[in-house]
Amino acid sequence: MFKSYRKKSPWILHYNAGSCNGCDIEILACLGPKYDIERFGILNSGNPKQSDILLVTGPVTYRSRERLVELYAQMAEPKVVVAVGACTCTGGVFRGMCNVEGGVDRYLPVDVYVPGCAASPEQIIDGVIQGLAALEAKTKAIEEPKRLFGGLHETLFFTSRRHMRQRLPHAED
Amino acid sequence: MKQSISIPLGSQHIALLEPVRFRFETHNETIVGVEADVGYVHRGVERACTSRFEFKQIPAVVARVCGLCAITHSLSYTLAVEQLVSTEVSRRAQYLRTLMVELDRLHSHLLCLAHTAENAGYEALFMQIMGDRELIMELQERITGNRVQFDFVCIGGVHRDVDAACAKAILDGLATFEPKLEALEELFETNWTLSLKYKGIGAISKEDAAIFNALGPLARAAGLRTDVRAEQSVLPYQEVGFEMVVEEGGDIYARNRVRLREMRQSMAMVRNILEGLPEGELQAKVKGKPEGESIMRLEAPRGELFYYLRGNKTATLERMRIKTPTFSGIPAMVKIFKGQEYGDVPAILASFDPCMSCTAK
Ligand code: SF4
Repeated sequence: MFKSYRKKSPWILHYNAGSCNGCDIEILACLGPKYDIERFGILNSGNPKQSDILLVTGPVTYRSRERLVELYAQMAEPKVVVAVGACTCTGGVFRGMCNVEGGVDRYLPVDVYVPGCAASPEQIIDGVIQGLAALEAKTKAIEEPKRLFGGLHETLFFTSRRHMRQRLPHAED
Repeated sequence: MKQSISIPLGSQHIALLEPVRFRFETHNETIVGVEADVGYVHRGVERACTSRFEFKQIPAVVARVCGLCAITHSLSYTLAVEQLVSTEVSRRAQYLRTLMVELDRLHSHLLCLAHTAENAGYEALFMQIMGDRELIMELQERITGNRVQFDFVCIGGVHRDVDAACAKAILDGLATFEPKLEALEELFETNWTLSLKYKGIGAISKEDAAIFNALGPLARAAGLRTDVRAEQSVLPYQEVGFEMVVEEGGDIYARNRVRLREMRQSMAMVRNILEGLPEGELQAKVKGKPEGESIMRLEAPRGELFYYLRGNKTATLERMRIKTPTFSGIPAMVKIFKGQEYGDVPAILASFDPCMSCTAK
């Protein structure tokens, strides 16, 4: 059930990891009536535990990287990271400055890159919609039984719920 | 026995757009102590400007200090460096620069008002103001080609011209915007929710504002007459009819009033600029390398912005210092927080319109 909800109404979490606020105000403009990202059912939530999509802006400064990874770790699987803005993708104009890491993908696996300085609201919406596709793919992948350890997987716990259901009667006899 | 509880707010919080962390000491909901940590977005812009970039590239770099007042940053730097390389800028370019600064002020104030409304729980008003703000953003896009981060000024002039069709579009846009601004003014003054919630909350007295060095709308709402636009003459503010806006009270309500009235002022100035736009060159030739020291102050939407440059006749500057409005305003903010209810914090914070990207650079 959650699966269909998540597809129809993903919640986003926005974190500013050292941006100039240019991309942040464009994300805010997306929430406004002209672009209105809510018509896709997308809500801006402040709580990482409820969010599915992490929108990151900024080139990841020295101080904010720990917060960023913490936030990512708190989000429940499946989750998607969208890097908004040139400086989040590669470091942009801040690349190589003394306190800057140069791109968010040094810390998090990024699914969608949205370029532009500042990324325009149309591009941001496009990126989030692409993020939705990535989210769906990840949901499917989670539901597959995981063959993490090759042939050993039957004896370990890395099985999906569906898999477990199939195996239960077998365990009884 | 009274116990004090310490509540952290931030660095990531739904009511805060900015990565800033506060730690409030509270006694029964009343704040008795505040600690602010603003360094989360420090990127080292000043240092990079004196080592990695040449002085001609820096207008585009300092614009990325802050996305909201980007034009004020690049303009302050440009004006300061023009003193060092003694470039004469044509009057047309000066007028166009002033035009963009005032349009920028319009959209920045609107964003702040929207945020204040949202933090008071008035979601519909947030939507309405964001919708009105798009009108201004469209004008900016029309003039400069980008919505935010338009690199409009360059050393010696500006990059793009405003022709007759564009001027007409701006005037039309402002004409559409004006009745909306009137409605907003009325709403902020008479709406029961807003005036009830905001009167007397987060107040600072005139003396305290002066002692703690408040700037911009924060100071003018408390009755202090400080505005760089009235004090300097590098931009033609006296010619385009600038008047200072001052309110009494120093609370959130007064700050909102200052912003609304300043928006009116800015619109009048934009109209005057378009009416009396002088002819002239867009860009002047820049010769030589910066040498010596210069200081420039401009009024950003949040208050005075200060630039100090020192060059030594090479392409790279020797020293650069940026002092931004929020940075100077932090002592006043801490002062205001003490004695307030914890529940009012988001609204007070939004009414300061703090900009952490500016502060931490
Ligand atoms: S991409 Fe450009 S506008 Fe966006 S946060 Fe980075 S510097 Fe600012």
